[in-house]
Amino acid sequence: MLVDLLFTCFAVFSVLGALGLIIFRHPMNGAMSFLVTLVSLAGLYALLSAKLLFALQLIVYAGAIMSLVVFVIMFLNIQPDQLPAEKTKVTYLVAGGVAVTPVAFFLLKVINRLPNMPVSFADEGFGGVKEVGLIFFREWLVPFEIVSILLLTALVGAVVLAGKREKNK
Amino acid sequence: MTNDFMLLFPVILVSLGAIGLMLAATSRCVQIEQAAWACGGLFGFAFLVQLAATLTGDQALYSSLFNDILVVSPFSKAASLVILGCGLFTVCSSLSYFKKNNFSSTEYYSLLLFAASGMLLLTMTRELISTFIALEIMSLAIYILVGYDRDNVLSTEAVMKYLILGAFAGAFLTMGSAFVYGAAGSTKFALIGNFVATTGFLSNPAILAGSFFILVAFLFKAAAFPFHAWVLDVYDGASMPITGFMATALKTAIFAVFANFLLADSGLQQGWVTFLFYIAILSMFMGNFIAIGQNSLKRMLAASGIVHSGYLLIGLVALGSQPVPGSVVAFYLAAYAAGTLGIFSALSYLSGKGEQWKNFDDFKGLAKTKPYTAFAISIFLLSMAGIPPTAGFMGKLYIILAAIQTGQITLAVLGIVSSIVAMWYYLRLIVTMYFHAPERSFAEECPSRIGTVSTLVLVLCVFAISLYPIAL
Repeated sequence: MLVDLLFTCFAVFSVLGALGLIIFRHPMNGAMSFLVTLVSLAGLYALLSAKLLFALQLIVYAGAIMSLVVFVIMFLNIQPDQLPAEKTKVTYLVAGGVAVTPVAFFLLKVINRLPNMPVSFADEGFGGVKEVGLIFFREWLVPFEIVSILLLTALVGAVVLAGKREKNK
Repeated sequence: MTNDFMLLFPVILVSLGAIGLMLAATSRCVQIEQAAWACGGLFGFAFLVQLAATLTGDQALYSSLFNDILVVSPFSKAASLVILGCGLFTVCSSLSYFKKNNFSSTEYYSLLLFAASGMLLLTMTRELISTFIALEIMSLAIYILVGYDRDNVLSTEAVMKYLILGAFAGAFLTMGSAFVYGAAGSTKFALIGNFVATTGFLSNPAILAGSFFILVAFLFKAAAFPFHAWVLDVYDGASMPITGFMATALKTAIFAVFANFLLADSGLQQGWVTFLFYIAILSMFMGNFIAIGQNSLKRMLAASGIVHSGYLLIGLVALGSQPVPGSVVAFYLAAYAAGTLGIFSALSYLSGKGEQWKNFDDFKGLAKTKPYTAFAISIFLLSMAGIPPTAGFMGKLYIILAAIQTGQITLAVLGIVSSIVAMWYYLRLIVTMYFHAPERSFAEECPSRIGTVSTLVLVLCVFAISLYPIAL
């Protein structure tokens, strides 16, 4: 089954990419590894016939946001000897792995015991621009609108935490 | 339709106010004090609007347009009132705090309003995706407010810890929502409730795992037992007014959405009763245990916040028996908010520049030099400890009575035991203030009248809230 094979590939690559993001020492390698995750996720969306989401994932995340991240890293021009030593990295990774293992087993157990649900293929227009738009504005108006408050908060936060601040005397 | 608008109006006011102050921050003509007054005025006005709104039972706002995502109930109204009140008093204590500390800017008040708008949405939303977004609005604004003092290493460390652990909790919520959606086919609380009611709670492992992850996220944000480790450092690193705001408003919003989620179906709530039972007990006793060992007042209050989360969890366990769902929880939140905000309001003007006085020993002999402030702090502490006739006592009483009515006698008894243990660290500060000779003069530390006035108002609140009757 090609679909199963593709799913396994994308799933494995997305997890490996995420692992690489935290394991690689240089930020640039981490960013590239993150790119693997983003592209694999796009592949997973495509397998679910979410066409618009697939395109947006590639254009916005793997395209725009990644180039921004890479731009910032290049801008900082980090040399290998400027990176912190990270002596405790292995210990933390192992400890984190041990801490997360029970959660993984729990999830596996849940997944294995899921009852068999009837599977049906998505409709013809599913995941297209028009369909997604209709769903956004008809059924999901509230989350769609309050995301704008979330983005504004993030914007103000970035300005406050990183921007230049006048001291009030 | 008009009534829908009135019920939504507080959220609109607070969000528009936040955007307005954000724009005002770009102008040089707006002074920080003016922004603070505008922010306080908005909170006060929104409070009155919310108070004036009439409603009986659940009411979906703009049902056809918003698709039943926002629902107001008497419980959510009470929670919103507490949140808006907390906002108002936080602005007052910020005003007196920033007379001594110099890192404020106009955006501070804008972010306070953003946080409040997220919290108000959180009390109303009955849908998991909106819950996630509202939770993130609130959390983002709070992260930034915690790390507002960029020159302070402690506060930078606090925001780093809180951000990473908070993202972890957010991931759990998303994962849980995905599982619940996979099982129930919807993210709306009502439809999830229907699904649980028809097929049973244990029939589908996905709903079990999903609601477990959602509970983990809520417990993390509420600083309940296994997820309480962050709370001491974060409260310690944040500035006094923000610590007060986090301890009260954030907790109110989280418990509001927590109760709404559990109220989706009694099967869902019953399924988690045993789990919440142990979490409540462990939160109360671990919190007490940690609080007894603290020397810093702020860390003690943070640890006592864990204990209060434990009491609120008892309220959630006993959710089924209340005629107005969540009334006991809302009452306890209001009572706890009055006491906690009061103490942080007093500390905001007592702790001085850079919060140099924050240990128990620094408050030795406060009663000699500042008898009124010491008296007010004692009232707040007694309310938190649960001594009659304060609001804290009534809150604990209602919670314990509700637990007895649901048949959770063990929980009721342990709640009483925990409140007796808690006397140790609450009375310790009172003893320090009253029965020790002053080691430093407190003469200069009252830069602003607004701080003392808001403290006085909160003392009155502590008694006034205790008189408010609720049906049990």
